[in-house]
Amino acid sequence: MNLRIAAKLARRELRGGIAGFRILLACIVLGVAAIAAVGTIRASIEAGLTEKGAELLGGDAEIGLTYRFADAGERAWLDSRASAVSEIVDFRSLAVVGEDRALTQVKAVDTAYPLLGDVGLEPAMPLARALDGRGAMPGAVMAPDLIARLALEPGDIFRLGVQDFVLMAALVAEPDGAAAGFALGPRTLVRTKALQASGLLREGTLFSTRYRMDLADGTDLAALEAEAKETLGTSGIEWRDARAGAPGISEFVDRLGAFLILVGLSGLAVGGVGISSAVRAYLARKTATIATLRTLGADRGTVLATYFLQIGALGGVGLILGIGLGTGVPVALAPLIEARLPVPAEFAFYAQPMAEAAIYGALAVLIFTLAPLSRIEDIRAASLFRDGGAGGRRLPRWPMLALIVGLVATLLAVAAAFSGNLSLTLWTAGGILGALALLSLAAWAVQGLARLARPLARGRPPLGWALAAIGGPGSTATPAMLSLGLGLTVLAAVGQIDGTLRGAITGNLPDRAPSFFFVDLQADQMEGFRAMTAEDPAVSRVDSAPMLRGIITEINGQDAAEVAGDHWVLQGDRGVSYAAAPNGTVTSGEWWPEGYDGAPQVSFAAEEALEMGLGLGDEITINILGRDITATITSLREVDFSTAGIGFIMVMNPSALEAAPHSVIATVYAEDGAEARILREVSNAYPNVTGIAVRDAIDRVAQLLKGLAAATSWGASITLLTGFLVLIGAAAADQNARIFEAAVLKTLGATRARILASLALRAVLLGAGAGIVAIGAGALGGWAVSHYVLEVEYHVLWPSALVIVCGGVLVTLATALAFSLRPLAARPAQVLRARE
Amino acid sequence: MPSPIVSLKNAGLTLRSGAGAVEILKGISLDVMPGETLALVGPSGSGKSSLLMLMGGLERATTGHVAALGQDLGALGEDALARLRRGNMGVVFQSFHLIPTLTALENVAVPLELAGASDAADRAAAQLEAVGLAARAGHYPSQMSGGEQQRTALARATALRPRLILADEPTGNLDSASGAAIIDLLFGLSAQHGATLVLVTHDADLAARCDRTVTLSDGRIA
Repeated sequence: MNLRIAAKLARRELRGGIAGFRILLACIVLGVAAIAAVGTIRASIEAGLTEKGAELLGGDAEIGLTYRFADAGERAWLDSRASAVSEIVDFRSLAVVGEDRALTQVKAVDTAYPLLGDVGLEPAMPLARALDGRGAMPGAVMAPDLIARLALEPGDIFRLGVQDFVLMAALVAEPDGAAAGFALGPRTLVRTKALQASGLLREGTLFSTRYRMDLADGTDLAALEAEAKETLGTSGIEWRDARAGAPGISEFVDRLGAFLILVGLSGLAVGGVGISSAVRAYLARKTATIATLRTLGADRGTVLATYFLQIGALGGVGLILGIGLGTGVPVALAPLIEARLPVPAEFAFYAQPMAEAAIYGALAVLIFTLAPLSRIEDIRAASLFRDGGAGGRRLPRWPMLALIVGLVATLLAVAAAFSGNLSLTLWTAGGILGALALLSLAAWAVQGLARLARPLARGRPPLGWALAAIGGPGSTATPAMLSLGLGLTVLAAVGQIDGTLRGAITGNLPDRAPSFFFVDLQADQMEGFRAMTAEDPAVSRVDSAPMLRGIITEINGQDAAEVAGDHWVLQGDRGVSYAAAPNGTVTSGEWWPEGYDGAPQVSFAAEEALEMGLGLGDEITINILGRDITATITSLREVDFSTAGIGFIMVMNPSALEAAPHSVIATVYAEDGAEARILREVSNAYPNVTGIAVRDAIDRVAQLLKGLAAATSWGASITLLTGFLVLIGAAAADQNARIFEAAVLKTLGATRARILASLALRAVLLGAGAGIVAIGAGALGGWAVSHYVLEVEYHVLWPSALVIVCGGVLVTLATALAFSLRPLAARPAQVLRARE
Repeated sequence: MPSPIVSLKNAGLTLRSGAGAVEILKGISLDVMPGETLALVGPSGSGKSSLLMLMGGLERATTGHVAALGQDLGALGEDALARLRRGNMGVVFQSFHLIPTLTALENVAVPLELAGASDAADRAAAQLEAVGLAARAGHYPSQMSGGEQQRTALARATALRPRLILADEPTGNLDSASGAAIIDLLFGLSAQHGATLVLVTHDADLAARCDRTVTLSDGRIA
């Protein structure tokens, strides 16, 4: 192999321009740009979260407590370490206006709030003045959507518990709002001391407190965290600081970004089909040149290097353009994107997303060009004396095949390292490879079927020609089905998963779910509550259970996270109840005997225990109201969370908990039409009790999912767009053949209408084929994700599936019609003369 | 006296390209009578093939008039020209011009199917048998030799027993043995169907087999 000569030849060939490489370049640019863009937005958000960590948190550091206020010792430690401390109380309640009521997430603050940033009010006024209220009546500010929901105006009165408030302004900017996470109701901001008479913050009710600290510049946050845990113990305190002001959002952005990049990889795979086709078509045009070079004495290696260098140069240009586009567009549109993001972002050119996109792009270009390039080895000098394709082997020689397999493995390893999620990477890669294999198989089957169906088309020439074009030599069925099919498959899978998930939450669940959760019921209110609901003919069922909240701090004397990792049960506080008898099926172990008052015992949810590696006899330490309770797991229970009824991960024996201050949670199953009346009656009778309508909560979750699905659909659209580009490439590469075919057919007496019908028919058949396979593959993916990941029941969503098939047909038809203009307009004599 | 099957009156053809207009044919007047065999000869670039294309309505005269099979070709649209060719004209090219995605049988069946023949496949098979290619019916053009491809093209051109056969250097891409076989077939089929044959050729012996020879030079009849 002579690299110098290869480089010289490559340079000379590239002088001819890149006319045949536009689609190849577009595929690389689009695939790489999509990955670079997602990576840049993710890096920008992460930089924004780091930069504005303290502002997001609302202080330099924060201690969170569940269910209680800080005691004197804790408060003294906070005051001694911080130059200022702000106390925030967070809980759910019902805002009542006359007979109307709406769920709200109340944030009660002191005069120090906010330590950092500014609260934005409309009409503009200082927060202190707004919360001072009017006369003796305390003031409040509310999120605009809640104001609209309750049809309030500034100056109007509403009630929380038994306390009236005057609405002073709309809350349009909450500096620490983004870090608050998902809430079931819109925000209401009041002053804590105004709630003293509301009955909403009594012992045992469900609220959390946060103590934000303003620290001296240069405070070692890690050391302070260690000191806090040392001094205050791990008694259920949650520590957060400016190093990660919004860890939940950060993690969410990270995961969503990783997922979208994997979706972007499927776009690159579709692009790869286009790259492969473009290289194949280019080399087909170069067969005579290659054979001539071989005749003149060029060895195989030199010829291979000549074309590898050409494709490599174009790939390099594509990578640079893709990275430039993918990072440049988000930076250029930064103000526009920032305005739509609920979190801060620092848009800039970040090295990691660029490197990530470049590595993915380079690997994809190599993987998809090596196979067609290796066919150069089969072109011999004798090819000059033979017409058309030399045929040759279908697979590359084994060293090249091994190299391609190695590159695919490298790509997977890189994707797993970048995404930080091996199983998600393998699932995605398996999905893409599976879909590619399925589509290749389908393309082969479609070609076979087209050949078999030829006799059926007798007497219908356009159909016959269409079937011949699909099933005959030089058919573009494979690239067309692969490119469009993979794009449609990704879109179908996203559609099926999104639909299934939303259906599971909004569709099926409410039939079995209760109408309301009532929280903060006090023990002395239960008798009246039960009587009231029992007398109501619209109520079919009422369940209730004592409700406390606790954090699992240790398992068998070891830090819980060390034993069970980051399982969701360990993330934050969980509901804990107590009961004398089991409610549900005990799958193993023994329930405590009646009247048991020995050492604390706990019955754990069986599925979660299995996931966390817990079993009978294990000891777990739960911090409830600042007190550590260590209990032995003596039984495991089946808990079905899918019904949205009352279900506790942990239920303890009564004597372990009943002395602690606590409230009761109740679910009420009622007729749809009576829901508003029941909520009104319960909250009138018990103003401290908060009723949460399950339907509203589900709507809120569905809204969140809709946003997620939209982000994923955008990712999938890039794949589809790349598929469309590849389809255009295939149509363009095929156009000369179609022009020739049309010229011959016209010579034989075919009218343009018949030729157009034939071109349209082959597009419809291929589009329908790709669409049907996409539904199959998408449904399979949808089923796998629904069954194994989401654990929800899966049904094929036919409306979504039909849209995919119609979309596939329309896209191929539009492309075919656009590319039929030249064949239809071509003069037979000119076309045929050019071939003589 | 019968009327001519093809009649050109002062016909000219000028093609425009990036390099400017090129006058290919200049004032050609020629009548071809039914059943006649006519050879068009002349040096390369003299306009023989272009004249053949004008006769078949595959190219439009830019000046003068061209009539074929009693129709003024200048007055017909592209689809009407296609319909006129269907069943009335057979065209044979130097490079065969078979449709690569169709088998030999399917290529021969195309004009029969276009004419609505219900027995297109059977008739196509008979045509292939007539040119000695029954065994190659299921083969694609890329799987056949040049001679076989040209025999298939000939079978296709004569499948509907056209009244006019136009052949543009039908042996130009073939060896002498294959070429001779094709010419025998071409003359045989023309005679068998009573068709008029217009043949472009460089071969003086072949031209001599025709009833009449017209020589072109620089776009004019010499």
